[in-house]
Amino acid sequence: MSHASILHLTDDTTPGGVMRVIDTILSSKYLAKTGKHRMAVVENSKLTLPKGGVDVIVSHLALNWRNFAARARLRAMYPDTPMIHVEHSYTQGFVAQKVLNKTRFFSMLRSAFCLFDRVVAVSNAQKDWLIRRDLIDEDRLSVIHSSVDLTGFETLPKPATSPRIFGLVGRLHEQKGFDIAIRAFRECSGLDLRLMVFGDGPLRSELEALAFCDPRITFHGHCDDPLEPMRSIDALLMPSRWEAYGLVAHEARSAGRKVIVATTDGLKDHIQAGATNVHDHSIAAWKQAIIQATQTLDKNSRNNRSNSNMEATRFESDWKKCLSSLQ
Amino acid sequence: MPRASIVVPAFNASATIAETLSSLQSQTFRDFEVIVVNDGSTDHTVDIIQPFLKDSRFHIVNQPNRGLAGARNTGIAEATGYYIGFCDSDDLWVADKLARHILHLDLSPDVGLSYAGSILIDGEGQPLGLKQSPRLHAITAAEVFKRNPVGNGSVAIFRRAALMDIAYTPQKDRPRQWFFDETFRQSEDIECWLRLALTTDWEIEGIRGHLTKYRIAGGGLSANTNKQLASWNRMVEKLRPLSPIFFAKHEPAARAYQLRYLARRAVSAGDEHKAKKYAREFLKASFSPFFEEPLKTLTTLAATVCLSWTGYDPMRFAAILRRGTLNPRPQKQT
Repeated sequence: MSHASILHLTDDTTPGGVMRVIDTILSSKYLAKTGKHRMAVVENSKLTLPKGGVDVIVSHLALNWRNFAARARLRAMYPDTPMIHVEHSYTQGFVAQKVLNKTRFFSMLRSAFCLFDRVVAVSNAQKDWLIRRDLIDEDRLSVIHSSVDLTGFETLPKPATSPRIFGLVGRLHEQKGFDIAIRAFRECSGLDLRLMVFGDGPLRSELEALAFCDPRITFHGHCDDPLEPMRSIDALLMPSRWEAYGLVAHEARSAGRKVIVATTDGLKDHIQAGATNVHDHSIAAWKQAIIQATQTLDKNSRNNRSNSNMEATRFESDWKKCLSSLQ
Repeated sequence: MPRASIVVPAFNASATIAETLSSLQSQTFRDFEVIVVNDGSTDHTVDIIQPFLKDSRFHIVNQPNRGLAGARNTGIAEATGYYIGFCDSDDLWVADKLARHILHLDLSPDVGLSYAGSILIDGEGQPLGLKQSPRLHAITAAEVFKRNPVGNGSVAIFRRAALMDIAYTPQKDRPRQWFFDETFRQSEDIECWLRLALTTDWEIEGIRGHLTKYRIAGGGLSANTNKQLASWNRMVEKLRPLSPIFFAKHEPAARAYQLRYLARRAVSAGDEHKAKKYAREFLKASFSPFFEEPLKTLTTLAATVCLSWTGYDPMRFAAILRRGTLNPRPQKQT
């Protein structure tokens, strides 16, 4: 097994969750025992596999009708190579808000999933949805919560008081719902409260305009070091409109930060793990959640700190299990 | 476990609830339970429900008054059926309503909410000659927002999984689950349907036929149009952050339809001043209703003008005509 060549395909090299998860797999010593992991970037649906053969293909690609032919071609060219697909993008919330023709979209997903030997969901909520919508058979579906190396987060000093500095971390995109958090924060009084926004994206100017009247809200752009935002904040807000898993919530939890999430898709997994949930996306509900957070000292956080060594091993052992089931 | 549960919220409904429960008892599909939620009634509603409880499929739950949404939420919590329907305590179901919706939901696993048209009846249960005949297919969130195809609160049959996808537990009411927002006293229906459309991927789809008899009692629907508009606005404020893009695109047209509806209501109530005000605002909001439903839009405007010139509500005249000609004939179902 140790000589197996495992190729990870991606078409999204932007500094986000997907790339960091792949990096984690590539650099894992534990997973190195399962085989030699490599990554290939697929551009414009064009893909030729490296010479020397590949034993397992793991797709981290975003599925759509446009690249459907390329997916089918890949399957036809390598009929005997086991293929795994990791579904990083699609969730119920995504379909509700972004898909106009649901029947057509679900046909695409069903037929694309058929091309793979195994599909990996990144959260239990996503798995439940895939099964409920009958998009894939349960026996071909695994759940592997996305993870990264959390050692740095674990050793961060925990904020001493009740949260004063709130953070938004991620791409400034409609998906993340940062506009909701900014509007809600503006309505919270408290001169010592801060809202720090880390990340970049298409909505930057819009969000800056929204926060213009409130000097407590600051924008810090994208940080290459994922520890940097966590160091500065006491609590993380995630009002996402859809979210397959939400890696940053995982990081914040292991850093002992309070995590406040919307009850959306994969974020539900974090609620079970100790995150505070906000029942809807209304400004009133988020305002209340922020105020409540500032008034309570979260005693449980330290206990709730996920044990990174355990979790990382779990991520790795889940992957090992998934890979060995195919070989 | 019954296949379907029917939730009947009842508040001081002694005048009508017997007829409602009889219409449910005579459903041709028989594997169901009825959960009557007595929402703090102060009249003898409970006495009227009592004889129905001999039928083992009928149950009653008593609670202090919470309002329509709160009664429905309690009913859903008690319901054990795979499908969950709602019938208000003054409305009636046509005998094969449940059977047809269950067939529809059984055959369409992606449909989370099944609905149909309604016949409007008066206080005595006589047809008013008016029907709600909504569009049945290709129902998008925009269609729900603009035209509310589900129509009224005694129409919808949900798949349990779809209801569970919109459940939430507000902090101040733990551990109760809310499906309908109990802070609303009006617009709670449309808020629920629209939230289903905007946050889940369940299809909303209608079936042919007018399967609910929807009662317009006494002086018609409540004439307090101001309050109704306020709660509609609050619904928009609540849901807008879910998808600002959606609301930026569809709110003007939806507002125009809502104002057109309120203008019609004001005309029916003979309130010339309000009718004119709503008609003006509706024209300001969007011209979409002109293109999408020219006939109904022009009728509304004509009726408003007629009321303000002559002081006589032309809709009443139309109703008299309808009663004179249509009622003796059996209702045609389309």
